[in-house]
Amino acid sequence: MPTARRRRLIRNSSARSGALIVGGLLAFAILGPALSPHGPNDSDFVHGVSLDLSPIGPCALFPLGADRLYRDVLARLSSGARLSLLIASAATLLSAVIGTIIGILSGWFEGAPVRIPWLAIAGAGGALAALSLGRPLAACMALGSGCVVAIARRKGGPLVDIDGALMRLVDVLLAFPFLLLLMAIGAALEHTTVITLLFTLGATGWLGIARLLRARTMQLRSLEYVVASRALGQSTAGILLKHVLPNVVGPLIVAATFLIAQMIVADSILSYLGVGLSPPAATWGRMLLEGQDEYLTAPRLVIAPAAAILLAVWGFNLLGEGLRDALDPRDA
Amino acid sequence: MRSIRETPDRTSPPRVVCAAVILALGPIGPVACGPRVAPPIAAEHGDDTPPRHGGTVRLAEIGDARNLDPAGPVDGVSLPPVHLMFAGLVDFDDHAAIAPDLAESWAVTEEGRAYRFVLKPGVSMHDGQELTAEDVKRSVERALHPSAPNPTASMFEGLVGFDAFVEDRADHIEGVEVEGRYVIGFRLKEPDAAFLPLLAMTTLRPVCRNGGWRYSDDWLPCGAGPFKLPPGGWQRGTSLHLVRHEAYFRPGLPYLDGVEWTFNMQALAQRFRFEAGDLDLVRSLSQADQRRFSADPRWSPYGGTDADTNVYGESMNTRTPPFDNIEIRRAVASAINREHYRLLKPAYLTVLTQLVPADIPGYDPSVRGQHYDYDAALEHMRKAGYPYDPRTGHGGWPHSIDYPLYDQGLLVFTAQLLQQDLAKIGLHIELRLVSWQAFLALQARPYGAPISQGSWDMDYPDPSSFFDPLFTTRAIDPEGGHNIAFYSNPHLDDVVAEARRESHEDRRRALYARAAAIVCDEAPWAFAYSHHWYRLRQPYVRGDTPHPIWHVDVTTTWLDRAGRSLEQVLGEGLRR
Repeated sequence: MPTARRRRLIRNSSARSGALIVGGLLAFAILGPALSPHGPNDSDFVHGVSLDLSPIGPCALFPLGADRLYRDVLARLSSGARLSLLIASAATLLSAVIGTIIGILSGWFEGAPVRIPWLAIAGAGGALAALSLGRPLAACMALGSGCVVAIARRKGGPLVDIDGALMRLVDVLLAFPFLLLLMAIGAALEHTTVITLLFTLGATGWLGIARLLRARTMQLRSLEYVVASRALGQSTAGILLKHVLPNVVGPLIVAATFLIAQMIVADSILSYLGVGLSPPAATWGRMLLEGQDEYLTAPRLVIAPAAAILLAVWGFNLLGEGLRDALDPRDA
Repeated sequence: MRSIRETPDRTSPPRVVCAAVILALGPIGPVACGPRVAPPIAAEHGDDTPPRHGGTVRLAEIGDARNLDPAGPVDGVSLPPVHLMFAGLVDFDDHAAIAPDLAESWAVTEEGRAYRFVLKPGVSMHDGQELTAEDVKRSVERALHPSAPNPTASMFEGLVGFDAFVEDRADHIEGVEVEGRYVIGFRLKEPDAAFLPLLAMTTLRPVCRNGGWRYSDDWLPCGAGPFKLPPGGWQRGTSLHLVRHEAYFRPGLPYLDGVEWTFNMQALAQRFRFEAGDLDLVRSLSQADQRRFSADPRWSPYGGTDADTNVYGESMNTRTPPFDNIEIRRAVASAINREHYRLLKPAYLTVLTQLVPADIPGYDPSVRGQHYDYDAALEHMRKAGYPYDPRTGHGGWPHSIDYPLYDQGLLVFTAQLLQQDLAKIGLHIELRLVSWQAFLALQARPYGAPISQGSWDMDYPDPSSFFDPLFTTRAIDPEGGHNIAFYSNPHLDDVVAEARRESHEDRRRALYARAAAIVCDEAPWAFAYSHHWYRLRQPYVRGDTPHPIWHVDVTTTWLDRAGRSLEQVLGEGLRR
């Protein structure tokens, strides 16, 4: 990062506060187990039970008290931080990769239909079908023959408006209410694991990034040095990798930072609605769900996970805003 | 995810911190510090007011009703509405004793092998037709025919001609005879002490003629009960609205215009809607809310707990590894610390170490039952061939075991306790959240769920109501029987059958004690607890008596609530 931008980032109060909160959250996730002698999923029926048989309140052994199953709320909160950050970060990474590929391709080929090697695509489709039927040899033959014929007929294939196709796909996906789509996928999965969850979130969260990067790529495409590269005969892939990609990294980082916050909220909502990770996983959404019946007798069971979600989302949003201000080329 | 915020928020962080904290804690603060529960909504008149007609009583359930046909599977949610729609030859009164319903009288002859019922004349069904003995015979054969998904059909195999009928060798059940327009007879192969209670269950209750001779999924349920189902009254998964059967055979009843259930409503939502006066009676309050309402002197006269008439436990599929190994099942039964279960709802759970709950006649406190004994559990694991060393964590069953559960009520908590208890003996269960319907389907399949929570509420107050459907070989049905452990033991079958034939009370009890000892030892279930419900009504709900079998029976319930003006209703709507 250029020195001026780094200086702007350090001076930016939003960025500083956001980094502080996110750093604190990371530290809490990593050091959490050291803060509590209890495992996040272990009930303690000796020390966690109060005299009236209800879960014990905050004390030295249980800094945030015990939950309904007499487990340490602090340990579960820390475990939840690990899970939330892991899922949100990995899902955002996946979204960023998908969104970047689609956004850049869409922006670059906007208004310029290209011929697609449909024979190779048909071969790949046949290979997938053969694989699903348990015929790997047939799959290899289908893929190989499709590719060979496609290479032999270089000029073959219909003209396709890649930008139009991809953006209509984005429009269709945007037409679905995001949470409804997530819940439908979550409910359709036979068993939700960390992997399925982050793939679900990642596969549905790239739409905003794709649109943002498409617009940015369209701007870059008409800049002089890009036009010059094309005139000098540099390949499309080379231009995209050397000139376009480095110039969309700034907006991508900003968008991804905001996206992490949204992923944390989405993950919590899924858990709260019962289509997230199965118990005893200590997700913040599940902690909210399990504590809500006790919101009057033990409001800490609701406040603790709610505050964690709030802080995490707020921290990433502040950091995103700071990054945006620092990386804004208009201020350069 | 949809859009990325474009406008930067320039508010300085400290102010943002304060605003956010206030916003986050704001809604919780007044709730935590304000009045604990809303005051009851008073009745319009004094206690000596005679019953009034009109109004709709509004109820809610955490779960969903799967079926409203008495010939189909009737679960805890669908039982009260099915009972209200279908009258039987006999019924259970408020003390669970047999009382006449559609039958005016009955006689038992041939040493308990023949029953002869005389129907009340002029009973009008929901479709306006008069009930006759022919309708009773048709309804019985409709419910017991193999085409009906009736999990309790096997309980009626004592009827003469039952086997030939279900094996399609006869068109009718020989032992069900129409002896006159209003006279119906039942003949049994041998005496059955439980036959009258079985008839009082919903299974064989008469259905309208349009129900036909065979079960059909698309039939609009229609019977002779005090309430009827109007077209469109059942929105599956959402709600059920029943309306008064104007021609109900008991004059003047019911008092209500209708009954309305909302399904799939969480306990917390039920509490808020009850306080707001949108629900009139609740039975699914959370432990915290139960404590709160029962401790409030304004509410305590309107709440009460039902008897312990149900059993909850961990049902182990005896056909699926590792629970096809009796020693593993014994290890599970010894590894569960039932006191920990009870701590989840101390005021409402009773630890149960045997099948029959304490409030059922026939409960035998002398049965030793299943008990928490960690050392014994480890020993059973060793005998099973999977020794586990708790110090090193080595050994035990080498695979993880699926445990399906649905995300409602107490189950999600007991499942996590079970997971901890079984991990200590080397059995690692993986909790799998599924929908309620998927949960029931998995349980019913022979190889669907290796272990899952089983629960059973009595159909009638007798040990046979527990042993017969849960553990006898004849209750195994790959299409959805109640023997979800798929447990089969010819010796137990014989003992239970003998107990049903036995009319001498002491000998009967001794036989059921033997049966209890067998199921406790062979452990198709690890019995855990029984749960007594806490029911709470608004003061304006009158004539509501907790029913030991049907739980919610609003046949004689009436509402004494002042009419709400349009302005009040609109105001409440705006406030919400």
